Amino acid sequence: MANASMSPTSSAAWANDFDEWRTQARRLLHLGVPPASVTWHDGNASHDDLFSWQEPPSMPPGPPPAPIRIGRDQLTLLRNAARYRVEGHGQSRWPLLYRVLWRWARGDAAAMHPADVDGRVLHQRWHAVKREAHHMHAFLRFHRCDDGRGERYLAWFEPAHDVLDLGAEHFADRMGGSRWIIATPRGGVSWDGSALDYRTPCPKEWTDEARTAAERANADEEHALWRTYFVSTFNPARLNHRVMTQHMPQRFWRHLSEGDLIPMMEAKARHGGQRLAQESSVGRRKGKALPGGRSALPRSPSGGDD
Amino acid sequence: MELIDKLSILADAAKYDASCASSGAPKRSSRGKAGLGSSNGMGICHSFTPDGRCVSLLKVLLTNFCLFDCQYCVNRRSSNVPRARFTPEEVVRLTLSFYRRNTISGLFLSSGIIRSSDYTMEQLIQVAKLLRETHQFRGYIHLKAIPEADPRLLEEAGRYADRLSANIELPTLTSLKTLAPEKELGTIHSAMGHMRQRIDAANDDAQRDAKRLPRSANPKRMAPIYAPGGQSTQMIVGADATDDRTILQSAQHLYRDFRLKRVYYSAFSPIPERPAGLPQAAPPLLREHRLYQADFLIRGYGFQAEELLNAPGNLDLEIDPKLAWALAHRDDFPVDLNRAEPAMIARIPGIGLRSVQRLVDLRRLRRIRYQDLVALRCRLETLRPFVVTQDYRPADAQRDSTRLRQSLTQPQPAQMALW
Ligand code: SF4
Repeated sequence: MANASMSPTSSAAWANDFDEWRTQARRLLHLGVPPASVTWHDGNASHDDLFSWQEPPSMPPGPPPAPIRIGRDQLTLLRNAARYRVEGHGQSRWPLLYRVLWRWARGDAAAMHPADVDGRVLHQRWHAVKREAHHMHAFLRFHRCDDGRGERYLAWFEPAHDVLDLGAEHFADRMGGSRWIIATPRGGVSWDGSALDYRTPCPKEWTDEARTAAERANADEEHALWRTYFVSTFNPARLNHRVMTQHMPQRFWRHLSEGDLIPMMEAKARHGGQRLAQESSVGRRKGKALPGGRSALPRSPSGGDD
Repeated sequence: MELIDKLSILADAAKYDASCASSGAPKRSSRGKAGLGSSNGMGICHSFTPDGRCVSLLKVLLTNFCLFDCQYCVNRRSSNVPRARFTPEEVVRLTLSFYRRNTISGLFLSSGIIRSSDYTMEQLIQVAKLLRETHQFRGYIHLKAIPEADPRLLEEAGRYADRLSANIELPTLTSLKTLAPEKELGTIHSAMGHMRQRIDAANDDAQRDAKRLPRSANPKRMAPIYAPGGQSTQMIVGADATDDRTILQSAQHLYRDFRLKRVYYSAFSPIPERPAGLPQAAPPLLREHRLYQADFLIRGYGFQAEELLNAPGNLDLEIDPKLAWALAHRDDFPVDLNRAEPAMIARIPGIGLRSVQRLVDLRRLRRIRYQDLVALRCRLETLRPFVVTQDYRPADAQRDSTRLRQSLTQPQPAQMALW
C-alpha cells in the first residue's frame, strides 16, 4: 500500500517498492510539490505516522497536466538505483529519486548525468547494485540435497542490496530443470524447474534448510574436489592479496567452501618464498620424465602416452 | 589413480595458461529445457585465488604427458613431474558437478601432445562433444587448438567451443626455435588463419540471417556456429630476451591478421627443474601489467605499438604507457575538453574510455567544468597538467616533461594543496 499526505507546507509519502514510488512521485509532481517539502519513508504508513496522514488531495481543477516524458534508459537508471539500500536510521532511498525526477521534469536534463551532484549519486547507487548482482551470480554457492524429495540445490546468500530477483532470473536460465531454493535474510525464492516463487520474508523452513546445507557442505564429496582444484590452480609465485580481496570482498569468504583455505594458502606461499609456481603437494609426488630423443612429428601414429 | 589426485596434478599443470576468461559467448539459456547452463557474453569470476587471478572456468589439462620438449613448460617430456591423464568422462563429470554448485561458468581444456596431434585434438573434441550433445551443456567451453592437427579437426572443435586458442607462446621465430624446437610459427599462423576464416564466415552468415526473418520463424536458416567467442592466444613474457616493443608489435600483427579477440601475456613463472638457458627468476609482474595496459591502448584507444615504444626496449615500469606517451608529446597538450575530438580526449592520461563518452554526452548539455572531472572520478593528479576546461587551465602547462614526470611519480607532500 502507498500513501501520500499533504499539508500546505509539507507532505509525507510512503513506498515499498519502485512501482509504488512511481505512482506517488507522479502525483506529487503533478501537484507541484517540491522535493524539499516531501518526507519519504520506506514501507507502509505506520500507525505512528497516521496523525500526520491525510487523504491525498485530488488533482487540482483545470486541464490534466502534461505527462512527464522520461526515456527508457532514464527509467532503467531510476529503477535500478532504487534497489540500493541506504544505510542509516531514518534514511530512505526515495528522496534522491524524487529530486532527480523533479529537476528532470523541469527540463534540467543534466540531473541524471554522472557528473551532476544528484546524478552522480544516482549512478553510484546503480553501480553498487550492478556490482552486488554480479557478486550474487559469482559467489552464491548451491549445495546439493537429496532427502527423498528428489534432488534439490540450496543456497544461502546475504546480498547488500535488493538484487534477489536479478539473481533468481540468472539462475533460472543457468540451472535449467534442476530445482533450487535461494534463501536470504529478507526474501527467498524457489525454482521448481518451470516457475519462480518469491516469498518475503523468506519462509523459516527455507532458511533452515539452506543454512544447514551450507554448514554441512563438507558432507558433499564434490566439495573436496572443488577445494583440491582451488589449491592446485593457485600460483604461489604470484601471491597478490590486495587484488584478490579487491575483487572478492572478505564478507563473502565464510559462505564459500574454499574460503577457509585462503589464509593457509597465503601463509604457505610466503613460507615457500613464492619460489615456484607448482603446488607443493604436486611437487612431492613421484615424477616421471618421458623418453625423448625422438622428434614428435605432426600426426605421427606412434604411442607416447600412458 | 583417484580422480582427486588427477585433478590436483592436472589443474596444477594447467595454471600457466592465463587465457581463461568466460566472456564473448552468445546468449544461451536452459530455462524450460533439458540440460544445464547459460551464457550471456559477460564472464563471471566465481572465486579468486590468492594470486589475484579470477577462477571462472575449470581449467585443466586432459593429460600432462607430452611428446614435446618446450623448454619453458613444466610438462615438457624431459621434466620430472608427476603425470596423469583424465578420461573424457571424468572431465565431463567434474565440469557438471562444479557448474551445478556455481563454482565455475564452464570448461577450459588443454592438453599435452600424446600419440599424435590429431589424436590429442580428437580427445579434446570428445569432451566438448559429450558435454554439448549428451548432457546438453550450454555453459562456456574454451578448447585449446593444437596447431599441428588436421584442419578438419579444428573445424569440428569450433562447432562445440565458444572460444579456441592456439598459443603462440613466444613472440619471435628465433625464440620459438630455441625454446620450443618442435613448434613451428608457420603452423601456428596457418591454424590461426584457418580459424579466422571460419569465424568470419560464421559471423557473416549470422549477420545475413539477422537481416532476414527472425530465427524462430525459420530455424533451418540458422547459420552454423563456429567459435562465437572468437580466438585468443598467449605469449610468455620474460622467458627470453625479447623486448616489449617486439612483443607488442607481434600482438598488433595477430590482432590485425587473425582478428584475435585477445592476446594474453603470461609472465614466465619459475618451474621445477629449470632447464639451462631459462631465467632463474620471474620477470617483475609489473612488466606483465604494463603490457596489458599497452595492449588495451592498442585495442581500445587507437594507439599503435610504435607510438607507445618508438625505439627498441621495454615499457616504463614507473609510469603507465598512456602517461609516458603524453609526456613524450607535450605539444599536443593541454587538450580542451570542450572542443577536442573524442579520440584526442581518450589520449589524455587519467581519463578512461567511459569518461570520454560521458564528457562528450555532457558537453552537449552544457560546458565542461573542472568539477565534472572530480564527479566522474577521473584521476585528477595525473590529468591536471593535460586538460583545459571552461574554468581551468594548468599552471604547469609550460613545465618541461622531465620535471613534470618527477612531480607525477614522487609522493606529493601534504602542503601541495596550499600552493
Ligand atoms: S606442447 Fe610444449 S607447451 Fe604444450 S604441454 Fe607439451 S611441452 Fe608443454
